[in-house]
Amino acid sequence: MIKFTVNQKTVEADDDIADMPLLWFLRENQNLKGTKFGCGIGQCGACTVHMNGNAIRSCSVPLATLANADITTIEGLASKVGADATTSYQVGSSKQTETLHPVQQAWVEGDVPQCGYCQPGQIMAAAAFLKQNPAPSDQDISEGITNICRCGSYVRIRQAIKNAAKNMS
Amino acid sequence: MTRPHNSRRAFLKSSVYMGAWVLSIQLPSQAQATSKARAKTQVNLKPSPCNQDWCIYVQINADNSVTLNSPIMDMGQYMRTTGPMILAEEMDLDWRLIDFTPAQPIALARNDKNDVIHAYADINTGGSMAVHNNWDYLRKAGARAKQMLIQEAAARWDIPTSQIRCKNNFVFDSKSKRQFSYGELAEKASSQQVPDDSFKLKDSKDYTLIGTAKHNIDLLDIVTGKPIYGLDADIEGALQVVVDRAPAIGAEIASYDKKAALAINGVSDVIESPRHDVNHWLNGPEKIQVIAAGVAVVADTLWAAMKGKRALKTQWKTGEGFKNQDSEAQIKSFYQTIADDKAPAQLSKNDGDVDKGLAEADFVLEQYYEKPLLAHACMEPFNCSVELKKDSATVITGNQFPHQIATIVEEVSGIDALKVSIHALRMGGGFGRKVEGDYVREAVVLAHKIKKPIKVTWNRENEIERDMFGSACVARVRAGIKNGKLHAWHHRQSQNKGGAQDNNYPQALVPHYKSEICHSSSDIPMGAWRGPMHLQWAFAVESMYDELAEKLSLDPLQFRMNLLKDLGETPYHGYGPSISDARRMAACYQAAAKMADWDKKRPPGTALGIAGHMTHGSYCAFVQEVSVSKDKQLTLGTAYGAIDCGIAINPNHIRAQMEGGYIDGLNAALFNKITFEDSRVVNNNFDKLRWIKMKEAPITVESHIIKSDLSPTGVGEPPTAPAAAALANAIYAASGQRIRRLPISESISI
Repeated sequence: MIKFTVNQKTVEADDDIADMPLLWFLRENQNLKGTKFGCGIGQCGACTVHMNGNAIRSCSVPLATLANADITTIEGLASKVGADATTSYQVGSSKQTETLHPVQQAWVEGDVPQCGYCQPGQIMAAAAFLKQNPAPSDQDISEGITNICRCGSYVRIRQAIKNAAKNMS
Repeated sequence: MTRPHNSRRAFLKSSVYMGAWVLSIQLPSQAQATSKARAKTQVNLKPSPCNQDWCIYVQINADNSVTLNSPIMDMGQYMRTTGPMILAEEMDLDWRLIDFTPAQPIALARNDKNDVIHAYADINTGGSMAVHNNWDYLRKAGARAKQMLIQEAAARWDIPTSQIRCKNNFVFDSKSKRQFSYGELAEKASSQQVPDDSFKLKDSKDYTLIGTAKHNIDLLDIVTGKPIYGLDADIEGALQVVVDRAPAIGAEIASYDKKAALAINGVSDVIESPRHDVNHWLNGPEKIQVIAAGVAVVADTLWAAMKGKRALKTQWKTGEGFKNQDSEAQIKSFYQTIADDKAPAQLSKNDGDVDKGLAEADFVLEQYYEKPLLAHACMEPFNCSVELKKDSATVITGNQFPHQIATIVEEVSGIDALKVSIHALRMGGGFGRKVEGDYVREAVVLAHKIKKPIKVTWNRENEIERDMFGSACVARVRAGIKNGKLHAWHHRQSQNKGGAQDNNYPQALVPHYKSEICHSSSDIPMGAWRGPMHLQWAFAVESMYDELAEKLSLDPLQFRMNLLKDLGETPYHGYGPSISDARRMAACYQAAAKMADWDKKRPPGTALGIAGHMTHGSYCAFVQEVSVSKDKQLTLGTAYGAIDCGIAINPNHIRAQMEGGYIDGLNAALFNKITFEDSRVVNNNFDKLRWIKMKEAPITVESHIIKSDLSPTGVGEPPTAPAAAALANAIYAASGQRIRRLPISESISI
C-alpha cells in the first residue's frame, strides 16, 4: 500500500498499481479531472501538479515514488495557501463564485485561456515557479516556464505571472 | 427551395416555464436557409458552404436575472462568449445579470433529402464563419425579444411603444420616471405577438455591449480545473478502451498476443478495429485512409487497458497496394514538378498573358518557397464516449461539426440518427482537425462490436500519427517588374492535396497573372489546418514582395502601398467573401507599421519585417521585430499586428486571437514539421516534434483593431497566415539571410 496525500487528504494506492503514473490515479481513481493528459512523456506540462510544493509532470511520476508525498492539484491550489491570500471572484451574476489562488486570480484578470485545456497545468507551473522566483524577470519566465500552450497564449501567461508576482509580494 | 415568408427570419417561441419566462429562439434549419436572406444584410460575403447558425436559449427569471445557454461550439475561439454578446446587445440585457450555463444542446432533424441537420440551428464552427453566419440572426432574435417586452410595458402603461426605452434589463417610459424590470414583464410578455415590421435593429453608434472588452464566460471553470472537456466525461459504467493503432499509413495487423493482454487484471476483451478508407473533400477522387487498423483492448479501468495494449506487442505488415510515403521525397518531387513547365498542371487563374508580361518585363525574379507537413496537435488528445442502446444512443466528445456524429451512429449501428443524444463538449483545441469524424466513427464501430458503453482514449503518438495534416507545399514564383511596377506574376505550386489561395493578392494587382496547381500522388491524408493553404500563399507572396522591393531599392512597406494604391474593391472568388478591398489591406499594413515605428533606426542586427493577408474576409498585417546575433542566433522581439474584421464585437478576444493565432503561425514558420519515413510519422510526440514555448514566443504582441462599420468577420484564422513571411522578411532585414524554406529553425538557430 502506497500512502500519500492529495490536496491534504490521505489517499492509498494498491501496490499492484505502483507503476501507474500519478496523472491517471488523479483522473481515474480520485476523479480529479483538472489535471490534464497532453503527451504522456513529460514534455508538454498539461499534467503539472505539485509534489511537496514543487512542480512535477504527473504523467511521468509512478505512484511507487510517492510514499508520504504531499500532492496538490489545481482543485486544491486555492485552499493550499492561507485564507488571506485567496480572493473570491465572481463572473456574471452572483451564482458562480470561486475561491482562487493569486495565480488563478491573475489568470482571470488577464483572461488568459483560449481553449483552456493546458491552463490548469500552466497555473500549477506558475504557482510553483513564483515560490522560487518571487520577482521574476522576463528572462526568468522564458527559462522557467516550459509548458506548451497549443493556442499560443504565452503573451497573457507571461503578463499574468508578472501580475501575480506583484500581487503576492 | 421555397418556404413560407415567416420562417425566413428568426422567430421566437416563448412559453411560461416554472415561473420564469422561457424564450427559445429558433433559426430556420440548414436546409431552409437561403442565400437570398443572407445576401440582404451581408453584402460583402457570400453564403457559407456550411451554413453555421446557432440556437440560443434565453430564460428571464422573475428576479430579473437571465439564464443563457450559448450552444455554439468553442475550441478556444471564444464563440461561446461572442454570440451572447450579439444577442444581449439587441435585447439590452445587463451582462452582469446573465448566468451562462455550460450546456450546448443539440437538436437534430432531417431535410427533404433525409440528411441529418440541426433542427433549429447549425452550431458548427470552422472557417472563421461563426460570427459572420450568426450576426444577422442573433441581432434579429434579440431585437424581437426586446420588442415583446416593450409591447407588454406599453400595454400596461397604455402608451405607444415608441415612447419606451430599454437599458440593462429595464424598460423605461421616456416621458415619466416609470420603469419595469424585464423580470416583472417576462411572464406576460411571453404571449406578446410581434409583427415583423414593428422592430428594427440598433444603429452601431448606439451599441453599449458590442465593442466592449468582455471576458471568456467559461473562465472560472477553466482556471479551477472543472471537468468541461470530452476527456473529463464518463458515461456511467462505461468500459475503458485503448487502441493499438497501425503506426504506418496503410499498415495491417500481422500478429498480436491476445492472451498476454487478457492476462492483465481488469482486461475483459481484445478485438480488432478495422481500417477505414473514405472519399474525403480535400483529398481528391481517390479514397484515403482515415482510420487505422488497430487492436482494441477493453478493460474495467483505463490503466488496465493501457497495460493490456503494451502486452499485445502488435506486429504490423504493409497493406496491399500501399505505396511507401516519404515526406522528404514528396517535397523533392514537388520541386521537380513545378520546375518542369511541361509537367501537367491545372490552370487555376489566367488573367492577361503571363508569358508576354514576363517577356516585356525589365527584370524577372524567380524563387521557390517551401512549407512542410503541419501537425494540428490539439492539446486534448482525441477521445469519444459511446453508448448504443436498442433504439437510442449517447455520444460524448468534442467536435467542430457535431451533427455528423448522429449520421455516423446511424451508418454504423442502424440506430435512427434522430435518436442520438450528442453531448458536444468544449474542445481542447480544434484548428480544423476536429472538423473530421474519424475518431468518432472508430469509437462507434467499437461500441457496436463490444455491445456495452465505452470510452476510447487516444495517446499523443496516435493523435499525431493519424493526423489529417496541413499540406506540404512548394511554390515557384516568377515575378516581372516593368517601369518599376509589378507587371507579371506566374505562380506554380505543388502540394500533397488541395488548391492554392490564388484568389488572394496579387490577383487583381498585376495585369498578367497566372496560377497553376500541380497535383501530387501522395497518399498522406490531408485536412483543414487553420486557414487552409493561406499560410503558404502569404509566405510565398509576401516574401517575394520584399525580394522585389529590394531589387527596386524600395522600402518594403512603400512597395506594398504602391501595389495597392488606386485600387478599391475587386471580386474575390475563393471561400468566404465576395470582394477584396485593397484599401482595407493597405490600412492594416500602415497601422502595423505605425505601431512598430517602421522608419525608426534600429541597432545593427535588429530589424523589422512586414507581411499581410486576407483570410475569410478579415484583413490582417503584422510587423515582426527580430534580432540576429553575430553567431546567427535568432531572437524574436515585439510583434505588431493590425486587423480589420468589420465591427469589433469583443476587442479583448480579437486581441487574444491576434496573439495566439499569430504565435501559431510563428510555430508553423519556426518548428511545426511532420516527417514521414516508411509511411510512418517519425516525430510523433513533443520530444521529437519541437513546438513553440514561452522562450521563443514574442514577449508582447501589440494589436490594433481597425475601426469599421462593416458586418463582422472572423478572427480565428486571419492572424496566422502573415506570420511566416513577416518573420522571414525580418530575418533578412536583420541578417541578410533570406529563408525560403520552412521550418525556419532548420536554417537559423533559435
